[in-house]
Amino acid sequence: MSDFWNPYAALAARQRRLLGMGAVAALLLLWSLLAVSGLVSATKLPAPWDVLAALAYLGWHEGQSMLLTATLWSVGRLLVAGALVIAIGIPIGIAMGAAPRVNALLSPLVDPFRSAPVVALLPILVMWLGIGETMKIAFLFIGAVVYLIPMVRDAIQAVPQSYWIGARDLGATPWECVQRAVIPMAMPRIADAVIVGFSVMWTYITVAEYVNARQGLGQLIQNARRFSAWDQVFAGIIVIIALALATYQFMVWLKRRLYPWETEQ
Amino acid sequence: MSAERPEAVAAVPAARPLSVVLEDIVQEYPAPGGGVTRIIDRVSLRFDEPGINMLLGPSGCGKSTLLHMLGGVRPLGVVSPSAGRVLIDGSECSGPHDDAVMVFQRYANRPDLTVFDNVAFPFRLRLWRERVGEAEWRQRVEDILKAVGLSEKRGLRPAQLSGGQNQRVALARALVLRPRILLMDEPFGALDAQTRDEMQRLLIELHRSWPCLVVFVTHDVTEALVLGDRVIVLSTQPARVADDFRISEPRPRPASWQRARETLALEERVLDQLHQASPGRGQLRVTI
Repeated sequence: MSDFWNPYAALAARQRRLLGMGAVAALLLLWSLLAVSGLVSATKLPAPWDVLAALAYLGWHEGQSMLLTATLWSVGRLLVAGALVIAIGIPIGIAMGAAPRVNALLSPLVDPFRSAPVVALLPILVMWLGIGETMKIAFLFIGAVVYLIPMVRDAIQAVPQSYWIGARDLGATPWECVQRAVIPMAMPRIADAVIVGFSVMWTYITVAEYVNARQGLGQLIQNARRFSAWDQVFAGIIVIIALALATYQFMVWLKRRLYPWETEQ
Repeated sequence: MSAERPEAVAAVPAARPLSVVLEDIVQEYPAPGGGVTRIIDRVSLRFDEPGINMLLGPSGCGKSTLLHMLGGVRPLGVVSPSAGRVLIDGSECSGPHDDAVMVFQRYANRPDLTVFDNVAFPFRLRLWRERVGEAEWRQRVEDILKAVGLSEKRGLRPAQLSGGQNQRVALARALVLRPRILLMDEPFGALDAQTRDEMQRLLIELHRSWPCLVVFVTHDVTEALVLGDRVIVLSTQPARVADDFRISEPRPRPASWQRARETLALEERVLDQLHQASPGRGQLRVTI
């Protein structure tokens, strides 16, 4: 216990897993006890096994999987929006980070949106873009890109000047310095920005699929809510959390594979 | 260090003749309380033959600033030099010069690139891609890696190397361009004594294969005497040329030479000049 208060102590993998699973088990236990005790009515808090049953029902029922269809729709929207966030947000962030004039020009337009109520934009998007796919993807895009752009800018500006000077001395043009020295050095932090972007989009997916819901996990949850099928609502939320977590884990793994040098220094 | 030098490096014709002239150089920086601080005061120097030239002075005396004017990246945010001219081959030079390559104290090796790619980095730039064909630069990188003793480590990244090995990478990246002017900004200042010794011997060997004009900044009196064909002693605040002499002893200079009475007398003289020129200021090092 001597290293309880020690931010640098490395836990053994087994101990870390044990503690983590313990917390989840404790929560499940508390949840089960509440459900069994009758302190909270089943209509307000479905029991864990009811949620599990709902999950199975959604997963396979009458020869089809509502869950799989909904997941594919949501993941598809997320991927399209994510591709746009990367294709548009990263170049803007790089330009802002690498050229002070671009930053001065765009930061008054970009920075305030970080604290803007993006959800409140939804009705406006509906008014402009209608209730189809364009609106849903635009909403996810805006929600994520306003976080990503400033993070990419900061990633560029965090690269030590010595790399820029070193490349300049070797005869690189200013743009070559940015392209060949600054951007490669900023890549791990740009990857962090993309990871945050996808996390944000997972939190917004239900909102995006709220209007004119036909397909998707958000629709699945909303539909269940309409029929007060709270076990299915819980199941839907758990699936979203699990998918968001899996996305995060995958992207962190990918980042470590692509930029192994980052942790070596 | 192996005594044999790779043929490809040795066979290269010596660098073309050159002339580098500093003319009445003055450098001033805005002082914190208003006004200006003059850190370099009317320094004039002329280099016109390949050789190792040592700029010796206490830390913070402005010798690095002077070095950066010789075809390196000038300090950002101030006019550099404030007055005077830098002439390379007779034409005025105001920024990075194609013929001059810098080796920094804090090695500017890229942590994301392997040893090979770090040395080959300049050939990713248009300037060098246009000048040197791929087959040739690949051969050059191979040769220089061999010359600095890093052929075996080509696939490693800088974090997997020692400080001395990292500085070899930096040296290799500069020399792979076969520069006529090699600017070295306290390149071995952060290394331990033994590694510094090795690096000095390596530099001597590499300079014999590629006799370019080296301008080498140091605050280490011993290093200046061990390496220099010419030693320029600078005073501090502002920097002026306090002394400028040649050493004809061939390199590498053995320990017996370093301990000889004449050498010690020379060292004494340099230290005296430095103390007179800058009483109680800055830091000097003697490591005999």
